[in-house]
Parts: sequence; structure tokens; C-alpha cells
Amino acid sequence: MNEFTFEDIASAQNMEQSFSVTVTQEMMRDFLKITGDSNPMHVDVGYAKQNGFPSCLVYGLLTTSFYSTLAGVYLPGKYCLLQEVSTQFAKPVFIGDILTVSGKVAETQETFKRIIIKARITNQDGKTVNRATITAGVLK
Amino acid sequence: MTREEVFEKLNEVFRDVFDDEDIKVAESTNADDIEDWDSLSHINLVVAVEKEFGIKFSMGETQKMKNVGEMVDIILERTK
Repeated sequence: MNEFTFEDIASAQNMEQSFSVTVTQEMMRDFLKITGDSNPMHVDVGYAKQNGFPSCLVYGLLTTSFYSTLAGVYLPGKYCLLQEVSTQFAKPVFIGDILTVSGKVAETQETFKRIIIKARITNQDGKTVNRATITAGVLK
Repeated sequence: MTREEVFEKLNEVFRDVFDDEDIKVAESTNADDIEDWDSLSHINLVVAVEKEFGIKFSMGETQKMKNVGEMVDIILERTK
């Protein structure tokens, strides 16, 4: 886990961090169990195909949950206090997709030790599947 | 900048931060008067005010300000 302080980030030029993750069937099952979102687009392959998709769509909020990891583990890491995530679901994500989650510091706000991160998630084909603006406090 | 001009600009900032075109702040306006004025929106507000007026508040000032009038006092002092 990274332990970047506000000063570390403010003194760097647009610090960037990224990591990769593969979406699995087990993640989909766990997400269903946690949220109770049983919409057929996420659990019924036949229904997804009827609607023009090759298989079930991964929950959009499962994909965006990786922003929690981006902020809480990578940028800034340990001293993160997540305040806001504004996101756009640009393209569908499917089970087995390899996602790269990346973030770049766009702004630092000194008074409250807060950072604004421009983030995106791309798939194995390099296509952006999600964009976000993340606001996080930095405790140290 | 006159006190009235600061209030005019502040009204725009408040309307933007709280997404409410009907907000009109006065000297005595405080967090009790605006429903969504919580600790997170207070941070958003202070940052927006800093950007609008090109000033910086100290952490102590952001905690001590009791109402909009006190915020205006600081803005006028910093923009002299």
C-alpha cells in the first residue's frame, strides 16, 4: 500500500498510479450477494443476448468499485479519505475482461489537503470503459 | 471591491456549490439556513470561494467563520 502524503503529491507533477484486475464470475456472485441487484442483464445470459450483448454485463458499480482501491491503496493510499466520485459508464464490461484502473492528480487543494484525481478504466483492448473524477482528502 | 460586490459574487458561488438558483446569502446566513450545508459541502464551498476570489483561507479561519458576513470580512481583507 502506498503512503503518499499531501506534500509528496503536491510537490510531484501530476502524480499517476495504476493497477490491473480481471473481472471474475466470483466477483459477480459476491456483488449480487452484497447488493441484491438481480437485474437479468447481470445474471441471465439469454436475456443479455436478447438485448444485443454477447454475455451478461458486469455491474457498473462493480467496475467503479475499483476506484476505491485506486484511491485507498494507490493514490494517495493509506492516508486517503474518499469524498466524492463522479463517474461515467462509457462502454460495457464483461466477465473475464482485464481492466486497467489509472488515476492522475489534476489538482491539489492546500487548505483542506485535498486532491482531485482524473481517473479512467480501460479494458484489454485499450478501450475506455469508465471515466471518473475522484475527490479525496489526504490525512497527512 | 465593495461589500455588495463580494456578496454578488458569493451568491453565484453558493448557487453553484449547492446547485440551487434561489439561494441569496446575507450577513447572518450560516449552515443552519441552507439544508445541504454539511461538512463536505463546506469544504467544497471554501475551495470554490478561494478560486473565485484568488485567496487562501487558513484552516483556523475555515473553522471559526460563524456566518457569511465573517467570510466576507476575510475576503475583503485579503483582496485589499
